[in-house]
Amino acid sequence: MNTVLLSTLCFGAALVLQPMARLDPVAHMLLQYPVLGVSGYLLGLKMPTAPDLRGPLLVLGITCVGFWMLPRSLDAALDSPGMHLAKLVTLPLLAGLPLGMSVPRVGAVLRGFLKAQSLSMLGVLSFLYSHAPIRICNSYLIEDQQRLGAGFLWLAGGLSLLWAVPLFLGHSLMPDLLLQRKKHHDLC
Amino acid sequence: MRTLSQIPDNAAQQSATKTAAVIKLSIGLSGVVFLLMMIFGLIMRAAQAGWVDLDNALFYQLLTAHGAGMVGTATFSGAAIMWYFLARHVALNATVYIAFLGLFLLGVVLVLGSIFIGGFGGAWNFLFPLPALSGGIWEVGAAVAFCLGYISIGVGFLLYYLEVGYKIARAYGGLLGGLGWRFVWHGDVSRAPPPTVIAAASVTIFNSIGIIFGAIVLVATIVNLLFPEFAIDALMAKNAILFFGHVFINASIYMAVTAVYEVIPEYTGKPWKVSRVFVIAWAVVVIFVQGVYFHHLLQDVNMPKWSMVVGQVMSYGSSVVLIAVTVYSTAVYLKGAAIKWDLSLRLLVLGVIGWGVGTIPAFIDGMVAVNKIMHNTMWVPGHFHTYLLLGEVAMAFGFAAWLVRGRAIRETSALDRFAFGAYVAGGGGFVLMFLWSGASSIPRRWAVHYAQWQLQSQLATVFATVVVLATALLVAGYLRGLLRRGTEQ
Repeated sequence: MNTVLLSTLCFGAALVLQPMARLDPVAHMLLQYPVLGVSGYLLGLKMPTAPDLRGPLLVLGITCVGFWMLPRSLDAALDSPGMHLAKLVTLPLLAGLPLGMSVPRVGAVLRGFLKAQSLSMLGVLSFLYSHAPIRICNSYLIEDQQRLGAGFLWLAGGLSLLWAVPLFLGHSLMPDLLLQRKKHHDLC
Repeated sequence: MRTLSQIPDNAAQQSATKTAAVIKLSIGLSGVVFLLMMIFGLIMRAAQAGWVDLDNALFYQLLTAHGAGMVGTATFSGAAIMWYFLARHVALNATVYIAFLGLFLLGVVLVLGSIFIGGFGGAWNFLFPLPALSGGIWEVGAAVAFCLGYISIGVGFLLYYLEVGYKIARAYGGLLGGLGWRFVWHGDVSRAPPPTVIAAASVTIFNSIGIIFGAIVLVATIVNLLFPEFAIDALMAKNAILFFGHVFINASIYMAVTAVYEVIPEYTGKPWKVSRVFVIAWAVVVIFVQGVYFHHLLQDVNMPKWSMVVGQVMSYGSSVVLIAVTVYSTAVYLKGAAIKWDLSLRLLVLGVIGWGVGTIPAFIDGMVAVNKIMHNTMWVPGHFHTYLLLGEVAMAFGFAAWLVRGRAIRETSALDRFAFGAYVAGGGGFVLMFLWSGASSIPRRWAVHYAQWQLQSQLATVFATVVVLATALLVAGYLRGLLRRGTEQ
């Protein structure tokens, strides 16, 4: 399927998810956020990147993800129309896009490190959200917060499988994306 | 499959030279730190013997430094050994090793600073909630620095394993290929990965998982230290810490054993063969080394019953796999071969024997009925000192002696024979004192011992002095060998 079309579909899905995101932090952080990110990531795969830019793009993408992971940002995206708009713009363009332009093209060890780091940080987030003695998001109930903590753990488990299986088998579960990555890697 | 022969000669040679240099440095550093940590151990045993008056807070600082230092250095030296031999089979990037070394040393500085400047004495396994309950002896900052030191070391190891795992996966068609599972299926020996690759793939899998769990619990501990309202579930933290700790220390010896696979064939003239049993045994190790940690929690009555069963069964299973495969194979390879027994071979074989023997007290303690009486006694240090002092550390010194041996295998010199004999006698006596103490129900981790407990500590102090002197000779021999080889080149 055409990457731009796929990206647009992801963005559309994120908009459709908005009512659910308002009610449920799991849908907000573990469904809408990733779908917005993926919409930019897919576009990033198609864009040529100079090797010197990969590092700054990586830092930009990680910083943007980090910002939107803050409970305060999560709240603001629900309370303020401006922040809601900022979320819809920055998660695809300042998180997904730079990550798509950089992550598939950095060295295998750094890529693996980022994956391992993501897994351990998801574990830490799971701890924080499930053990916090107070409501850390004003917009959601404490039970929802604890469910989100469990969701982070499930996500970590799922990603571990997704990333480990190709490593064990010696080929990727996503051959198309990898082929595109290789093509761009050769071009750059 | 890509092999070393396909790598451009110049690049391969440059990388090999760089690797050899950093590995020699790593082994030299390991030897010196082993010696220093042994001196810490000697001081603690002398204090328990009533021969040295040691401040209690300082005792626990030494205990923490000794534990963290020995676990870290054992795993570090094991990693150096495995990297050296794995580089014979896949093209490893020496820069990654240098980054690993840098992060490891940064971690060591933080850990030592937290202990000797910050006064942290919460033991190497930082069990929740001890880091936060100092009774005023150390500040929160010291405990945080200790955890950050561990995180730095963990990140270094993660980079190390990513490079190892990636290169093995690329060369052998995925980690399953590196583990030898494809060979189990097709049975073609000519396409089987070498034993070192199988060991490296196995350790990469289980220690990477362990490190990720370690990172989670370390960050959670830091959050708890800084914001005590974030209380950790104590049982969950204990599970995560002991899983990480058990896997990490076991990885040290599973990495060091690659020296046995690569060096002993030089003496016997027979290559270490890969068989289906060998591959399956390593596959079992990958699973058992992760599942066996439950035997650390046999006294936690609120753990589920199945975990107690798993802990006990896997304690037995791990020992059987080890003894049946590596110890038995070593004996078979050595039997009947015309061998010149130099220092390196003696130490490597001692390492295999010490490893095998060291598991016996472990699976005795892994029985629930024994564990409820013995687990908090000196019996447990008796177990791990056997498989570390007479196992991993002996292998590391065997590798060190081999590194500086030169091409010709010479009979052991009188000085080397003396050093080896003293190491075996001192080490054997030292671990027996721990086991005797444990069998006498003397508790572990106590700074002050009653007069009735001091005989074992006094004898242990004498044996520890012998070990320290023998180790000093081994380290001096390695450094002398490095200088000699440097001059020859």
